[in-house]
Amino acid sequence: MGADNVIEMLHITKEFPGIIANDDITLQLRRGEIHALLGENGAGKSTLMSVLFGLYQPEAGVIKKNGQEVKINSPNDATALGIGMVHQHFQLIDVFTVLDNIILGAETTKMGFLQKKAAREKVQALSERYGMKVDLDAKVEDITVGMQQRVEILKMLYRDNEILIFDEPTAVLTPQEIDELMDTMREFAKEGKSILFISHKLNEIMSVADRVTVLRKGKYIGTVETKDTDKQSLSNMMVGRPVQLEVVKAPAQPKETVLHVEGLTIASRGHHKRNAVDGVSFDVRAGEIVCVAGIDGNGQTELIYGLTGLEKTKSGTVTLCGQDISHASIRQRSRYLSHIPEDRHKHGLILDFTLEQNMVLQRYREPQFQHMGFIKDGAVRTYAKKLIEQYDVRSGQGPITIARSMSGGNQQKAIIAREIDRALPLIVAVQPTRGLDVGAIEYIHKQLVAERDKGKAVLLVSLELDEVMSLADRILVMYEGEIVGELDPKTTTVQELGLYMAGAKRTAKEGETA
Amino acid sequence: MREKLSNLYAKDGTKAVLSSLISIVIGLVVGSIIILLVGMGNPSLGLSSAWDGIRLVFGGLFSTGRSAAGTLTFGFNPTNIGNMLFRATPLILTGLSVAVAFKTGLFNIGAPGQYLMSTAATLYVALTIPSESVPTVLIWILAFLSGMLAGALWGAIPGLVKAYLNINEVLACIMTNWIAANLVTWFFDGSALCNTAEFGKTGYVYKTSYNGVETFKMGLDKLFPGSQVNGGIVIAIVMAVLVYILMSKTTLGYELKACGANRHAARYAGIADRRNIVLSMAIAGSLAGAAAALYYLSGNTEFFWSTYQSLPATGFNGIPVALLAVNNPIAVIFTGCFMSILDISGLQLTNLTAYNEYITDVIIATIVYLSAFSLVIRMLLSGRKKHKAAAKTSSAVETKPAPGPSDGADEKGGEEA
Repeated sequence: MGADNVIEMLHITKEFPGIIANDDITLQLRRGEIHALLGENGAGKSTLMSVLFGLYQPEAGVIKKNGQEVKINSPNDATALGIGMVHQHFQLIDVFTVLDNIILGAETTKMGFLQKKAAREKVQALSERYGMKVDLDAKVEDITVGMQQRVEILKMLYRDNEILIFDEPTAVLTPQEIDELMDTMREFAKEGKSILFISHKLNEIMSVADRVTVLRKGKYIGTVETKDTDKQSLSNMMVGRPVQLEVVKAPAQPKETVLHVEGLTIASRGHHKRNAVDGVSFDVRAGEIVCVAGIDGNGQTELIYGLTGLEKTKSGTVTLCGQDISHASIRQRSRYLSHIPEDRHKHGLILDFTLEQNMVLQRYREPQFQHMGFIKDGAVRTYAKKLIEQYDVRSGQGPITIARSMSGGNQQKAIIAREIDRALPLIVAVQPTRGLDVGAIEYIHKQLVAERDKGKAVLLVSLELDEVMSLADRILVMYEGEIVGELDPKTTTVQELGLYMAGAKRTAKEGETA
Repeated sequence: MREKLSNLYAKDGTKAVLSSLISIVIGLVVGSIIILLVGMGNPSLGLSSAWDGIRLVFGGLFSTGRSAAGTLTFGFNPTNIGNMLFRATPLILTGLSVAVAFKTGLFNIGAPGQYLMSTAATLYVALTIPSESVPTVLIWILAFLSGMLAGALWGAIPGLVKAYLNINEVLACIMTNWIAANLVTWFFDGSALCNTAEFGKTGYVYKTSYNGVETFKMGLDKLFPGSQVNGGIVIAIVMAVLVYILMSKTTLGYELKACGANRHAARYAGIADRRNIVLSMAIAGSLAGAAAALYYLSGNTEFFWSTYQSLPATGFNGIPVALLAVNNPIAVIFTGCFMSILDISGLQLTNLTAYNEYITDVIIATIVYLSAFSLVIRMLLSGRKKHKAAAKTSSAVETKPAPGPSDGADEKGGEEA
């Protein structure tokens, strides 16, 4: 409570129609510390940070900076106070270059003309100093999520912010990138910057944060020093019940081959010469979870697009349940495969539709839900209610909630409910737990294992090593569009996996024909 | 009771209706102010004329002319109402055309072109099939359908260009509008349909009644004697209801809306996004086509074919009709009628005062402008509600499950930045 608190948020209360997002929450950030804010989806973490960043005005409570009470009515006020934020969903303009995005809103001008040269030098200096590689002239739409995040961080540094808010920064990063980010954060803290780190990944919090404040369902639960606590007790604080952190599963009993991929090649978008996916072959059998590991941007996304029909393949064959689907339409394929997409906002949901409309996104044409082209509203409602109940999807108004208004975790749960309930032989899940809290992750992992045990084939793409190691029955590592190794999680180590992912090691197998 | 009212107020639909009504009222008030200003500034008009003008803007539909003493009289005027319904018919349909496209994420500014192409097709079919050998009812139906078809085909062009070449539909629509204008002019220039029977007329095509083809009256002419009203209004209303059912009750409507709201997610779900874009433009086009068909098949309207210099206003007026109706097909019926009431008011202004009908254009323009702001107005309405709720927060118990961020508060923070 001394003068070392750079930011104090005292007794903040913020209400939304039907819900109290923040209920009398107090948070004190010390100078030069990394302070984690831990809580499940919908616990009110982002709301609290939005209050600090001036996006919302609280109904009650005060914010103090260096002991002085301040009013933050807009992000501009926050910036003026040296507060910068990396949002969970990036705030970048897709068609602008990286440099333009960084300087946007803080442009140096001379007589109304942009002074990009000086800006470029400053950004370059920053990016070298903290080892954050970005391509300043690439358009944001063409770069990976990992790089987009570095752009967001550079944005804050460019504005000389001293209080940095990271809203679930690691959700989209590879293990190596996460390590780098952690180092960068420690570096920042050493320089006297104060960091608020929103996360629900306990590993990261334990490794990087000095103190943790835990929220649950909008309420303040407590603040603890990381050195006095452990993962289990933190997760219990967060969820309010004992949580199982490890995935428990019996050895896989693979049966017949469900998915057979042979020499699949997919051209890359943009002007790169090499193929995004280059001659990939593998099988997924019923009753096993095959995990495609790799650093983001090594062809996993395109591979899945190719398998699910979202992108055309250049050559190679895909056989699903004995049928050649290499050139089948998305709808034909979706008779056999469920797809939990990587980007839940782009592909997974129609955000302006209601939850119930989203629940039947592929199924509205089934006789169960329509008669002679007329949608059976009642049947849709009943079905949506069933899924909402069964998969514990929380929302303001149940089936008629607009998907956009739901929290990220519940949006993901809705997608998972929809896809798993279709009960198809193959489940393709791309980063299904991205951005979710331990409670939800535990749940989703259990679901996937349960589906495997029911005899479904599961193809999982994940960037998180923990997830790969604990969930997979077999691991395929992708590097630069090729599968460079097939590993058994029982006999391999995280370090070895990391080497494969970085391209430093590869199994020489039949792929030597090239 | 109060509870009920406040629940009603919290509904999205209520807010939409209120915001449209507010736009309308402000538009009328602005129109009145202009009438007042013009009246004050013009010695031949003066304050009393201005007062007359304002009364006509608000109550033109119920104007019954002037009494012997020279004061305006108001009352039930069946002719006005019948004419209002007659003029509302094409507006409702072009409004539907724009609304359908909007609902599917497309801006159909091509309604004038679709309207023109349909005009040509309708008139050609209605006038060239010999009524001696074919029953006129059949000719009417054929003419109506070919009008819709022409509109649909013309609407499908921007749809195709959008779906397969990713060219913005607004651009393509504007171009097809002018192509239509020139095509139609050229077509009638060389046709034998130019009205030569009535002396002194140049540039007009025969009325369809020349071939004995006109829309059945359905007894509406008895109800509203002296007006041009016919069964077209009934057809328009039926079509509005059909569009409502199509958009909100059918799988096709679901697909169309899905493509409009998120093309990527629609594709992911296996919906043929390209086909649906073309289809929704074709549906929009067919509705604009129906507007023209019903207007010209009435038998008492004639078409001035030299259209290469101007596009039919009815096509463009579909945009305010749809905006004001917040793209709700049922609401389009009412906003279409409202627009045509303004038309009638304009007529009354010219007939009964020294003002001209262009005042009503100002009113329409103001309303269109404001309907673009309808979101702002809606936000203001929600803000007022919140204020009220905050004022009585002591009584606690929040009963309103109003739409908005639920536990998704998380999500929204990001989006507003």
